[in-house]
Amino acid sequence: MTTPATRLTVNGRPAVLGDVPTGERLLDTLRWRLGLKGTKEGCRTGGCGACTVLVDGQSALSCLLLTHEVDQASVTTIEGIADDPVGARVRAAFDSAGALQCGYCTPGFVMALTGLLRERGRSIPLEELLEDLGGNLCRCTGYATIVRAAQLAREGAP
Amino acid sequence: MAAVEIVTPMTSDDAVATLQASAPGEAVVLAGGTDLLFDLEEGRTAPRRVISLRRLPWRTLDWNGPTLTIGSTLPLRTVENDSDVRARIPGLYEAVRAVGSVALRHQATMGGNLGRCAPASDLVPMLLALDAEVDLVGPAGERRLTVDQFVIGSRSTALQRGELIRSVRIPEARPSAYVWQRVRPFHDISHMAVAVAFSPSRSRWRVAISGFPPRPILAPATEDALHGPVPDESALGHAAEALARHAPIVADKRASEEYRRQLVRPLLIRAVHSVVPPPGAP
Repeated sequence: MTTPATRLTVNGRPAVLGDVPTGERLLDTLRWRLGLKGTKEGCRTGGCGACTVLVDGQSALSCLLLTHEVDQASVTTIEGIADDPVGARVRAAFDSAGALQCGYCTPGFVMALTGLLRERGRSIPLEELLEDLGGNLCRCTGYATIVRAAQLAREGAP
Repeated sequence: MAAVEIVTPMTSDDAVATLQASAPGEAVVLAGGTDLLFDLEEGRTAPRRVISLRRLPWRTLDWNGPTLTIGSTLPLRTVENDSDVRARIPGLYEAVRAVGSVALRHQATMGGNLGRCAPASDLVPMLLALDAEVDLVGPAGERRLTVDQFVIGSRSTALQRGELIRSVRIPEARPSAYVWQRVRPFHDISHMAVAVAFSPSRSRWRVAISGFPPRPILAPATEDALHGPVPDESALGHAAEALARHAPIVADKRASEEYRRQLVRPLLIRAVHSVVPPPGAP
């Protein structure tokens, strides 16, 4: 069963989607309908953070959102992160810290960190910032460089 | 997930009418969806209709003197970011932060946590210790229950057919704490947890424990043993021993009974010390 077209703004561009099944997740809409494969599917149960995107500027787990539930929302994925000033800084911090091994968790970490710094800015204590990244897992366990990237991005925060 | 119809009512009356018009098992109520979507994906529940609460005007947080009222569909992250919640009800701040991750808390709601009613809920024990109440709307109008009356067991509450959780009312801001033990410190399920709060108006401690089936519970004998706003260290030690020995703790797939009994003693002491630092603490 389907409902009327779902209208999203994805990375600044309007997307009008017809015939989206009611049970479809935002993760699958992004990857398979819009071809934005940068958003990764990890556990599909909200436990790993790999599928993190921004919905109306806030971090959200795209595996636990029905696409119909975010009708009219603005969605930012890793493909659009460079257009966000905070996101661009986070990306640069991951680059200078060399904060990736296999890279599968990286889009989720970049989106989660961007969301946190947009929400809290430089005023967030480092300890709290690192706690708040606890929802993102790196199966390579390359956390030391990810922590370094978070520190760099926070120091550069406005 | 099989094909379903999503209904998105704009008013409380419409939401109740839609729910009441659905046969038992035909409809499920969707708030943040962070728990419900598992069940839909796994086929544990196969409704024909999903009633989404996202357009209802229930994303509210209101302070009235010492009383805090939280709309049932307000994302938990908004509760956590309220500076008065953090300062005036620290245990609630800690309990909310114990739920999932930041991204999950941008979606998850207090109404959802209460309605799903998991035995290891991090919010229910804190709400018990705060003597919180649940305001319900339904076909017969509104009613108010204490959280203790509302919670029955896993996925089981006192909600009657056609009823929805509109808001949660915390009658009094209290010095409070929430402490837990789990495998991973963040974004995990608590094996054992203790919520404590001191009621200034009643000059009495409230203690709740959580993590094991069938549901989070109050510990009245422990409350009785903690006299006055600053319990003495030996009374606290004895209360913790008695709680570990006598609480109706059981095993489940996450932890053994013995492990949980070992945990609850230091957790209670740590929780009380978090509210009232022990003599000589820095």
